Formats: sequence, structure tokens, C-alpha cells
Amino acid sequence: MPSKNPVTRPTVKSIGSYVKKHAPKVEETQGHQHAMSETVREADYEGHHIVVRTTYQIEVDGTPITGHMGVTDDGNVHYHPIPNMSFASALDMVKQLIDVFPDDFTDTGPAAHGEHATKAKPRTKSAPSAPTARVKKTGKKTHADHK
Amino acid sequence: MAIRENILTSTTARDKYIQGVKSLKNEFAGPTTSDLGIDGPSRPVSTYDLFVIWHHVAMTTFTPPTQGDRNAAHRGPVFLPWHRFMLLQLEMNLQRVLGNDLTFGLPYWDWAQDGQLSSARQRRAAIWASNCMGGSGVPVTTGPFALNPADPDSWRVRITVSGITGQLIQANRGLRRQLGSQTARLPRKAHTAAALNQPVYDAAPWSTTSAGFRNLVEGWQNQPQIPPPSLHNRVHVFVGGDMSPSTSPNDPVFYLNHCNVDRIWERWMQSPPAGHGRVYVPAQSEPASLKGHRLNDTLNSLLSGSTTPAEMLDVSELYTYDSLSV
Repeated sequence: MPSKNPVTRPTVKSIGSYVKKHAPKVEETQGHQHAMSETVREADYEGHHIVVRTTYQIEVDGTPITGHMGVTDDGNVHYHPIPNMSFASALDMVKQLIDVFPDDFTDTGPAAHGEHATKAKPRTKSAPSAPTARVKKTGKKTHADHK
Repeated sequence: MAIRENILTSTTARDKYIQGVKSLKNEFAGPTTSDLGIDGPSRPVSTYDLFVIWHHVAMTTFTPPTQGDRNAAHRGPVFLPWHRFMLLQLEMNLQRVLGNDLTFGLPYWDWAQDGQLSSARQRRAAIWASNCMGGSGVPVTTGPFALNPADPDSWRVRITVSGITGQLIQANRGLRRQLGSQTARLPRKAHTAAALNQPVYDAAPWSTTSAGFRNLVEGWQNQPQIPPPSLHNRVHVFVGGDMSPSTSPNDPVFYLNHCNVDRIWERWMQSPPAGHGRVYVPAQSEPASLKGHRLNDTLNSLLSGSTTPAEMLDVSELYTYDSLSV
């Protein structure tokens, strides 16, 4: 099964040349933003074709989270910027996101959004100064035509 | 040929690794942030940071785009061959900047050995000493990758990812680690032993819900004694900070973790009865819905030409490990 890899040793020149060649695919991934993240899961069962479309629309302090979220077949949620973890709850995922990226949410806090500041709970010891997250989930199950 | 050694037992490999990654961090082959669609002023991107970008790009490339689990480097069968390819590219570049030293091999961190320590001692293990990778902190203040604000050549994170948009963004700050804050313990030897006992490499549905060696080593399988995040994933989560996001190669510990993962794979591929042979699935005859993960599919590349999983199964002409005791 193994086959031999013809190794080409890199040079500064070859790196510049290959990166230039591959740059469009980097730019393409930079363009991926999703106001709503939809995941489609499909399965065949007892002669039926199942399609489950799950859409998440997430905000933190009113700021939309636009990176790509996914849902695996077992129902766990994952998000590219925190790739080594999956979550049974999207709320837990967003809490983890805030922990991993504290800088990204310093400007989204209640003080930075007057409209939301009025909705925010006062900060007390029992209500720590964390951003507020809102997660909206839509799960549509479609029983399509039999295969 | 290179021999990959344990970073805690080879001071030569450790010091060359530190010297080499610092050299790549200060080498600029021409690409700029604007060439790569990264917002902000156009700045040259170092060779080291091109690897950071490559990892993020592979991770954000779904394979195929019609599903939301497998990507071009993770969450599917290609996880091990793609990272072997990435490490080989880094290793060859390190050899180049170390004066074409073809005997230099990437060091590995035997994290399961540290996982045998108490959780408090895991955070103070030898790998985090000032003469090795340095310690915890936001930013890290000890060791070779500590931030010195007065020194423009001290280690700085220049490219990271936005938690809000998921896009690459520019930065200029010190490296961050939060050892043991998200999970208190590293994987243990019992976990690597369980991985070696997996009789199959991977299985349908070829994702994070699969049975088999790949999905256990990557860290998604949910076993009663090994709850996720496990093995590879757990190491990322244990280190925390810049090891958490898709730009985790920002921390040089990334390569020590993956070199150990590669070592575990090499052990698994030893001829029976010691291992399970150089076997890879899915075969090329599997449906196109697995494109990017089949035996002869092209691997995602950025700094070089590409290769295939088949070409990554036996690389014994390029390097060996000093020990396959995992």
C-alpha cells in the first residue's frame, strides 16, 4: 500500500513560489462568513432518507458570531476557531469561545453597546462580568422521497 | 537520515529546534498578508507563520464542502498523513536554516509520560522549564519564547484567528499559554496503550463518530475510561492559550505534540505482532464523498507541492524515532 514520496527540499524561492500559487485558496477561506450557520446531516434508515438541517444564529452582546459552526451526527456542536473540542450544548460552546478569545469580546461588552447595556445584569460577585450570549437554534427534519 | 529524539533527553535536538524555529520566524520568503487576503496593513509573513496559516486553511476547508465534520486535515482519516506531511515540511525547513543539517530531526514530547505525574506536577514538568519551552502565562514570560517588549526579535504572535468571524487576523503580542486551566490532566500511558490496541485504522462514517485508531488518537472517541477531549486533543486543551485555536502552530509546542502523535502512529504501523502494518483506509475505490481522505487523494498544501496518504505511510528513508515506546 505505501508508495515512495519523491522529496523536494524547500528553498526560500520555492516557498515564495508555492505560496503565490496557493494564495487563492487562502483568500477563499478568508471569505467564509456566516450570519447563520446551517449544517445538513443525512442518513438512510429502513429504506427512508433522512435529512436534518440545523441552523444556528449566535450573538454575543448583540455581535453576530459568523465563523462556521458544525453539528456532527451524534448532535455535538463544534466551531472552527476552537477546533479540539466539541460540545453537547451551543451555549457551552459560546462560553468556551469567550474564555479562549477574551480580546475579541472586550469591545462587545455591555458598555460598548448602549442598547444592550440596559438589558445587562449588574455585575456582582454572583454575576461575573462575562459577556451575554444568545443562541437561536432551528432544527428542521425533512422526510424526503424514498431512494 | 534524521533521528527524532525525546526533547527531554536530547539537549542537542532541543537547542537546535529552538534555534531553528526562531530562524524561520525571522525569515521572509516574499508573501505578504495582503497576498493572502488578511485584513490590515500589508506586512511580510515569515516562513514560520506560513505554517500557522496553512494549518488554519486546511482546517477550514471542508472535505467535501457538502458536509460539516471532516476537513482537509482533521476529523477524518487524513488527520495522521496530513500532519506527517506538515511536520516533514517543517523539518526540512529547519534542516535548511540549521546549515543544511540533514541529521536534525524534530524532537517529540512524550506527553503520556508527563501524564503519569500528579496534575500539579504536570504544570511544572521539565518541558515547561526556562531552558526548554518556557512556562505558562498571558503572555509567557519565561523561556525562549517569552515576550520582551523592548526586543523586536523576541517571539511574537503575528497571525491569529478571530473568535467572532473565524478569519485570520493580524496581531503583535506575546505567546499565550494557560497550562492546566481548561483541563487539569494530560493523557496517560493507559490511553496510548488503548490506542495501540485498536485493530482498525479508521471506519465509516470516517468522521469524529468513527471507531478505530485514528479517531481515538485524534481525541474524539468517547470511551468510559478515556472521555473526550482525549490524547491529541487533550494536549491542545491542556496547554491552552495559543494552542487552542486553529492557529495553534503559533506555539512551538504544537510540533512537539504532533511529533509524538506521529510516533504513536509509527508504532501502530509496525509489522505484526508488534503493530498492525502499514495499512490505510479508505481505499481509492471508496465514493467521491470521501475525496480528500482516500489513499491516493491529494493532500492540502501551501508551501510546497503536494503528496498523498499513500506516500506518507513509509517515510523511513527520511527519519526514524529513537524509541517507539509510547
